[in-house]
Amino acid sequence: MKNGSLFFLGLFAALGLAWVGIVVSSNAQIGSLAGYYDDTDSTSYPARPSGLAAQGALVYKDLGCASCHTQQVRRPGFGSDQDRGWGERQSVARDYIYQTSVQLGESRIGQDLTNLAGRKPSAPDQDDLLHMLYQGQGAMPSYQFLFETHKIQGEASSEALKLTGKQKPQSGFEIIPTTRAKELVAYLLSLNTTYDYPEAHPVAGAKGEGEK
Amino acid sequence: MTHASTSPSADSADQTPAESTGRYPLLYLLGSSVLWLVVSGVFALITSIQLHTPSFLAECPVLSYGRVRAMAETSFIYGWIGNVGLGLALWILARLSGEKLRGANWVFVGALFWNLAVTVALGGLALGDLTSISMYQLPSYVQPLLFCSYGGIAVAGLLSWTGRRREMMFASQWYAIAALFLFPWLLSIAYVMLECSPVRGVLQAVVGGWYAQGLWTLWIAPLALTAAYYVVPRMSGKVIPAYDSAALGFWTLLVVGGWTGARHLIGGPIPAWISSVAIVMTVTLVFHYIVVFLNLRMALKGGSLSLGFVAIGLICYVAGGFVDALTSMRAYAAITQFTVYEDAQKLLALYGGASMMFFGALYFALPRLKGAAWSSGALIKGQLILSAVGILVTVLSLAAAGLVQGNALADAKVNFSDIAVQMRPYLLVASAGQFIILTSSLLLAVNFLKTVITCCCKSDSSKEGALAS
Repeated sequence: MKNGSLFFLGLFAALGLAWVGIVVSSNAQIGSLAGYYDDTDSTSYPARPSGLAAQGALVYKDLGCASCHTQQVRRPGFGSDQDRGWGERQSVARDYIYQTSVQLGESRIGQDLTNLAGRKPSAPDQDDLLHMLYQGQGAMPSYQFLFETHKIQGEASSEALKLTGKQKPQSGFEIIPTTRAKELVAYLLSLNTTYDYPEAHPVAGAKGEGEK
Repeated sequence: MTHASTSPSADSADQTPAESTGRYPLLYLLGSSVLWLVVSGVFALITSIQLHTPSFLAECPVLSYGRVRAMAETSFIYGWIGNVGLGLALWILARLSGEKLRGANWVFVGALFWNLAVTVALGGLALGDLTSISMYQLPSYVQPLLFCSYGGIAVAGLLSWTGRRREMMFASQWYAIAALFLFPWLLSIAYVMLECSPVRGVLQAVVGGWYAQGLWTLWIAPLALTAAYYVVPRMSGKVIPAYDSAALGFWTLLVVGGWTGARHLIGGPIPAWISSVAIVMTVTLVFHYIVVFLNLRMALKGGSLSLGFVAIGLICYVAGGFVDALTSMRAYAAITQFTVYEDAQKLLALYGGASMMFFGALYFALPRLKGAAWSSGALIKGQLILSAVGILVTVLSLAAAGLVQGNALADAKVNFSDIAVQMRPYLLVASAGQFIILTSSLLLAVNFLKTVITCCCKSDSSKEGALAS
């Protein structure tokens, strides 16, 4: 290797090829994916997130929730994703088109949250999620800094957490979720991928990719 | 140019023009790298403890698991690897050019701002400016600064390369130039496609995966191999065997490496061909690892302590490549994906592979840069033993924890609290391993500090005399 400019060109080509091959071509394939318009109920899917949920997505990102939670239900044949009730179908690219910052995640210390609000038979509600954030569960730490302890003045707040046992605040005090906690919960409750896109099911009769 | 001697006095007497101008900027780069290594070790220990004891520091938002994990990664990659890799690459390029290090002042200014950028990035991460993309945990506002300061550092390397006396290039030079040239491209593409005008939906994950893999195969691994290809023949006193194949190994890494990122997205909501291509390419990349092993295998015969570091680095580097190829297969990936097994792989490659090669080269370089031997041989030996034990313990326990986790996750009847209980013993051992690794880094830091300070005091007067003559 004596020719400097040829060497340089080679380096550039090595990077450029991989970039074109992976990034540019996948962008060409799914980069302009649009919402799916369903004639029967005259609605376009996926739904755009509400303002509060979009704020909550920022809280989710800034606390690094994605370091323990994924948001992708894998194809059939990959693990127990569907058996665990995380979703009745695999996640598809269209699910994510309106998310500003996609949080696919890379680790499952905790549960997958793709379809948290659409789980069957029972999805957690706002109360469940606030309690879980405050108390923690299993490998999940408690996020008490998302809550404030207030002295009860006059009537108790309707937002106060109903806690029992050790966690119960001193009498005369109540625990109120901060705005950030409420945004985060609104975001979690917006995670719903129940709508069935035509591309969300593998071709009938075909084996799952992980199966032998 | 043979520097096979291992005696400390001969090491410090081995001076070339490269040291005359490059001494202080390069010492600054190497010194900062050691500092960041210790900082990242502390963060890594905290996250490791939080994995089995989630309540640890949980009341403090700045130290919540997601953020500390990001800080550990950024300080390790951009702080430790960035500084040490660039410092050694510049030194090696200057030495191989047979000339002085040109643009040394630019290196100094660049290094100053690079470290400033890493510091600001850590502050930003602590306050929540995460990107949630692995290896790319850089708040958007520090990226332009990182980019520009990198230019200051890298320009000296390019000048050494273009001004080299011999037209012929050595393997170290290929790897060094590739790393110096490709990082700014990677970073700027990621910056444009993820921050300035983000691509849509899951493509962000595709770009993120491409960047992370590129950072490893096109920047970190070449920097480590620059160091290894330079020091191994000099420390062992033998020419590189099968050197003809080295070029093939080099181009395999560069051409194939960039395609392998999407193997982490197997089964996910991206077009299946992306991960299929990645799997094929990951297996192809095994060729590169074989070539590197054949070329550098005489490091395994031992001889000096610094060669011991490179030998362990070589074993981990090659093992990491084979494990990557194995776990990219769908049947294995279905189990190891999303588990701490992937943390074990990362540690094996980044710490076991790249960092151990850097340590070996650092122990080789400092006496020559400073003109004085390392202050303590016992501390070097201590670091070698502790880091080897630390890597072994942490990688094996994390891998075991990952397999337990993966198998439990695959069984829908096992709930998450039970998985945490099953993993806990292994994670406790991993924390002990992280502690050992941190201790080994501290030994290096102490030794570095002692060497630089004592020889500054001792040599100031003698150096003036030497310069006058």
